[in-house]
Amino acid sequence: MGGLLAVLSPISLVNAQLLRLGRAIGIVAVALMVVSILVQVFFRYILNNALPWPDEAARFCMLWMTGLMAPTAFRQGGFVAIDMLVIALPRVVGQLLTLFLLFLSLMVLVVAVNIGWSEVTGFGGRFTTASLYVPTSFGFDEWLRVPRSWMMASLLVGVILLVMVNVELILRSFISLLGGADQLPDLTDPSIAAGAD
Amino acid sequence: MLIWFLPVFLIFLMIGLPVFFGLLAAPGLLLYLNGQERDITLLYRNVYNGMDSFPLMAIPFFMLAGELMNKGGITMRLVEFAQALMGHLRGGLAHVNILSSMLFAGLSGSAVADTSALGSMLIPAMEKQGYTRKFAAAITAASSVIGPIIPPSGIMIIYAYVMGESVAALFLAGIVPGILVGVGLMLVVKVMADKYDFPVASAKSTWPERGQASLKAFFPLMTPVIILGGILAGVFTPTEAAAVAVAYALFIGFFVLRTLTLAEIPGILSRAGIISSVVLLLVGAAMAFKTVVSLSHAPEQLASFILSLSENPLILLFLINLLLFVVGMFLDAGPAIIILGPILGPIFVDLGVDPIHFAIIMSVNLTVGLATPPMGLVLFVASAVSGERVEAIARAILPFLAVEVLVIFLITYVPAISMTIPRLTGFAN
Repeated sequence: MGGLLAVLSPISLVNAQLLRLGRAIGIVAVALMVVSILVQVFFRYILNNALPWPDEAARFCMLWMTGLMAPTAFRQGGFVAIDMLVIALPRVVGQLLTLFLLFLSLMVLVVAVNIGWSEVTGFGGRFTTASLYVPTSFGFDEWLRVPRSWMMASLLVGVILLVMVNVELILRSFISLLGGADQLPDLTDPSIAAGAD
Repeated sequence: MLIWFLPVFLIFLMIGLPVFFGLLAAPGLLLYLNGQERDITLLYRNVYNGMDSFPLMAIPFFMLAGELMNKGGITMRLVEFAQALMGHLRGGLAHVNILSSMLFAGLSGSAVADTSALGSMLIPAMEKQGYTRKFAAAITAASSVIGPIIPPSGIMIIYAYVMGESVAALFLAGIVPGILVGVGLMLVVKVMADKYDFPVASAKSTWPERGQASLKAFFPLMTPVIILGGILAGVFTPTEAAAVAVAYALFIGFFVLRTLTLAEIPGILSRAGIISSVVLLLVGAAMAFKTVVSLSHAPEQLASFILSLSENPLILLFLINLLLFVVGMFLDAGPAIIILGPILGPIFVDLGVDPIHFAIIMSVNLTVGLATPPMGLVLFVASAVSGERVEAIARAILPFLAVEVLVIFLITYVPAISMTIPRLTGFAN
């Protein structure tokens, strides 16, 4: 078990730091979403001059918010599941079932990473967004039309982070199975299990 | 063979696989076994395209607005307003609890937010006045289900998006059913108050006192007016209305009540973002799942099975309500709507049930399911807030649940309850 704990420790640390960074960017993304839509409302209804970019910019932010923040929810137990059976079963059987479920989730995620990579680097990613540009010079005289792949990368990054969290949860589950649950810090946050309900 | 994805999905769900993974693993596995590997890529694309949606943005915005209002002390003002109106009645605080939930529902679309915000304030106050803790927790949980019924509503945004309905029509259709649930709960409280001699909360407020309480609650109470008024007048889309609600909540919190601080904002944004991201992933997976539902012809096969039970829509609606109620006992409303909407919706629309009416039946039924044991989400939140055991709250809530079930059947068999406002305003046929 000592070996497992030694492997888990750096993975936990990396995940904690990466997800913290993800949350920080996610916070900015949420704020930018609100600002974009308020700008849209202001220009359309007050100035009677509809802007082309706020809708797409807000969706861009929302997709990145999802990709960067959902892994935190997964790590903290915020993915909705009916866990009655796992709780009702004897401890060891319940732990084995948890491991099976985590491996099943990992399978889904690995397939998603494969597909996601070919989507981002493939044909669909070569198109550009309809209205998003970023400056490529300090004088703001050269602009790059944002490729769609930048938007599509949000889900790919999301599933890669989910894979990393999944590996951590598998290791934690193995340690719990071997009776070391008391040596693991509690990651769960019941307050995020609410969803939209 | 593809039709087997449904039982496989149910097995995955029952053994505890998170809904998000189940929605993708079951159809993915069957597509693979069916030799349709290329369609698995389609699943991935549909998850992405499902999330890349302007209407869905209303979910993080309404969540954010609710969080901001709650942190900004708006809940307190609503409770004071409710107390000025109903505190003098026998069982005053129980009535105040219900009325506060109805008012809070106009600001937030979440039953969980309602239970935690109002519960932490009203359950201790009710205990002080001699109510049992389990009763106080039970009435808080029972009334919190009004949150997602009266607009705005997170689950209605999800339903509208997944099923291609109008968010505005669903919002409008939820108003009367939500009020009906509240009035039904108040009637139960009245009967119990007379029987068990519940205390009054305060002396009857004078009209000037009521005026003062109304003035204090004016800004929060204007939120639903701005949201619904803006949508109805065609000024905002629901997503824009949600963003305006966020701006309004910030304005009230910073400049009117001055209860919000800048330091609190990152935490609020983070919580809203994390919770929304899970919902968005689920909706994306639901859109992928929906594709396989259509490919498998599951609705047609289920429809012929359902029609073999009876061809009378009234009996079928009764049976479907039973099914939804049982599902609601085990699954939260959002995921249940995501899973069952695409399967059941088309069947009942073909039977002649108005899609908006069916949406309200599903939404109200599954929302009530949030307060039903053994897996009622708000029961657990009420337990966490009050310190009372879930089992005790689950027993105390039964009379309230009985009324809510009655309301479900009223809504089911009297379509006018939900359909009148959307029809009058031109949002439904």
